Amino acid sequence: MTRVVEVPVHFDHDTFDQFAGAFGEPKDERLLFDAHATKWGSPYGLVGLLAAGQWLQEQQRTKPLLTIPNDRDVAHYWARTGFFRNAENFFELHGKIPHVSTSGSSDVLLEVTPVRGASDVHGVVDRIQDRAAAILRELGLQAQATMGFAMALSEACQNIVEHAGTGGWVAVQAYHWRRRLGRRVAVIAVADAGVGFRASLESTQAQRVGDRWSDAAALEAAIFQGVSRFRDPGRGQGLLGMRRYVDRWNGKLSLRSGTARLSIVPAWDDDVPMADGLPEFPGSQVQLIIPAKLTN
Amino acid sequence: MPPIDLRCILRETVSAMYGDLVTRSTGQAVRCGVEQVLAEYDGEQIAVIDFTGVRLLDLSCADEIVAKLLLQHGRTRPFLLRGISEDHQDVLEPVLERHGLAAVAQDRGGKLRLLGKIGEQVRVVFTMLAERGAAGAGVKDVAEHLAVPTATAREVCDELLERRLAMADAAGGQVISLA
Repeated sequence: MTRVVEVPVHFDHDTFDQFAGAFGEPKDERLLFDAHATKWGSPYGLVGLLAAGQWLQEQQRTKPLLTIPNDRDVAHYWARTGFFRNAENFFELHGKIPHVSTSGSSDVLLEVTPVRGASDVHGVVDRIQDRAAAILRELGLQAQATMGFAMALSEACQNIVEHAGTGGWVAVQAYHWRRRLGRRVAVIAVADAGVGFRASLESTQAQRVGDRWSDAAALEAAIFQGVSRFRDPGRGQGLLGMRRYVDRWNGKLSLRSGTARLSIVPAWDDDVPMADGLPEFPGSQVQLIIPAKLTN
Repeated sequence: MPPIDLRCILRETVSAMYGDLVTRSTGQAVRCGVEQVLAEYDGEQIAVIDFTGVRLLDLSCADEIVAKLLLQHGRTRPFLLRGISEDHQDVLEPVLERHGLAAVAQDRGGKLRLLGKIGEQVRVVFTMLAERGAAGAGVKDVAEHLAVPTATAREVCDELLERRLAMADAAGGQVISLA
């Protein structure tokens, strides 16, 4: 039996919960991820979709199907991000995959890239720096924003290496975010299909928190107290550093794990700081958005 | 002791392909490389850790290299972090503060500054010592500079010396800057 998982028409951070709800808790059925009507897929959506495919593979489920977007521009965009090249390892792809070059696209700062170990993190930060400097200048940000951006990217990727217990994905793009902000933004999206924050922190934090222990409590502990599964007091600084970075550059940071999502919400956004009781989704998903500076 | 070039250590211990100090595992490898060099020299010599060739430093790597070096060796040996950019400083400050550590940093123009967790009086005296260079200052000078009693000035000097943020001159009467 095949079950259809509808990919939202606008597949991004805001509609990810809808996708997670459709994904549900897969049993033995084969899944068909239906993206034929999708008109937009953000980096967050794309790496999240790969994480779903990766999770199914790691659970040794039947290889799922994925129908690619009918919209030619959307399919081309997904191809330019390198999505299909990675997706074919996890999905049986249906539809015409555009043959486009993934290099040299001005909006794709970093193609969808697997992160499995420290060498991948080195590769990612090495590739991003020159292009990030150019894009952040375009956004009207000072040169100092560039190194912080690369640092935040490095720390976000290291969360996979250090805590997920499996590999994950990262993508970095710049685009005009018309629907929400009406400005250009640079976006880092990272997703994995690993154990998630709650399981990662369980051994060091669950007893301390007691009955309140949950996905939401784990996210709060990680981002506000900088705790980690390691007892080394130097651990757990990465998320704090990402938080400082978005505070400084008026950005937004969002972490989703299990059934909760915690966001550091800037004045330009109306998201809630904590969303709990969301549809369960494997692993952790992180999004960091840095908007263009407002000019008079 | 010659300055310890972190870019060279990175090349020797991890890979010649990398120019950035990122990830914990890289930091651990680089710290081991630094410790091998330190082991060749006696503990009283200033360990100059040169960041000039380092483009990006992330928090995890800074913690593994700088914080752990200071935690393990900082009470017995003075450290000077040379070639520190503003970006490096932005990363090092919170890492040091998290551990209650402080370190002497020298920017690419040669200016000395204290990074990390440090009291205001110690910071003021550190700046005075940096300006005076090899001449240094005695407890009496410090007391005058801070407009505090001699006992307080002595405590400030002792803190600078105990935390290896300054050193005593050969005669032991003056406190002098590390650079």
